[in-house]
Amino acid sequence: MKTKKLTKLGLLTCLALIIFIIELRLPDLVPIPGVKLGLANIVTVYCIYTFTPAETAMMLFSRILLGALFSGNLMALWYSIAGGMLCFAGMTLLRRFADEKNMWFLSVAGAVLHNIGQITVAMIVLKSTTVLGYLPFLLISGCIAGLFTGICAQLVTKRLN
Amino acid sequence: MSRRSIFIIITAVIMLGAGAWSVYLMLRPAGETVIISQDGKELYRLDITREPDRTIEAEYEGRKNIIEIKDGEVYMSHADCPDHICIETGKLRPDTPIVCLPNRLVIEYENSGLDGTAR
Repeated sequence: MKTKKLTKLGLLTCLALIIFIIELRLPDLVPIPGVKLGLANIVTVYCIYTFTPAETAMMLFSRILLGALFSGNLMALWYSIAGGMLCFAGMTLLRRFADEKNMWFLSVAGAVLHNIGQITVAMIVLKSTTVLGYLPFLLISGCIAGLFTGICAQLVTKRLN
Repeated sequence: MSRRSIFIIITAVIMLGAGAWSVYLMLRPAGETVIISQDGKELYRLDITREPDRTIEAEYEGRKNIIEIKDGEVYMSHADCPDHICIETGKLRPDTPIVCLPNRLVIEYENSGLDGTAR
């Protein structure tokens, strides 16, 4: 890997981390766990369209790991990893069908998959299907948040590349 | 049909489906039985209309939760976890359970979640 690329990825990881930590400090809009904007996803979506899948994965998982460490919430790590893995896999596959004009859709799909991943882990941890009751609310918020971050990523990519 | 319109349709279908699902969850009658379970095991089964005001304590790996029952309503008043999401959830409603993920505690109406449709 060229030094320039490594530096770029490092910077993007740092940027995503800052966004992630700042977002944690914002008060929750809805008292449903898991509902959030997911602003750090802007960086992930940008990376998917700019770097190879392996490079994006490195960026994403360093961000998730460091994010859990910095926020001091290691319990949430497993939910983030499960959500992040599903989200990353889905977005990488969909990248072939969605060109740069349809970035918003990639982000929506990523957000929805992220929510599904988190609920799945919650069901395993709680050994109960009760938390499925959260899923419809999370899907709606995921679509809206995904649309927002997707449009942001689209604008950012257009200006950067 | 362009890719764009296909993507718009998929997004709309997900949102409408989830919307219908949440409306269904919110409109469903609550029933009277509240179940408190931890780590997949049922701890308490309460008839909420007849339950006197009281507090229930639950412990998980040394961490404590206090559940308050008052005037037929249930809420979490204390939790030893870092996020306090369960307390912020407020009073128990029929559509969404109160969940404390770190302490694996769930408070729900008997016919909520997927279990309700199976029963």
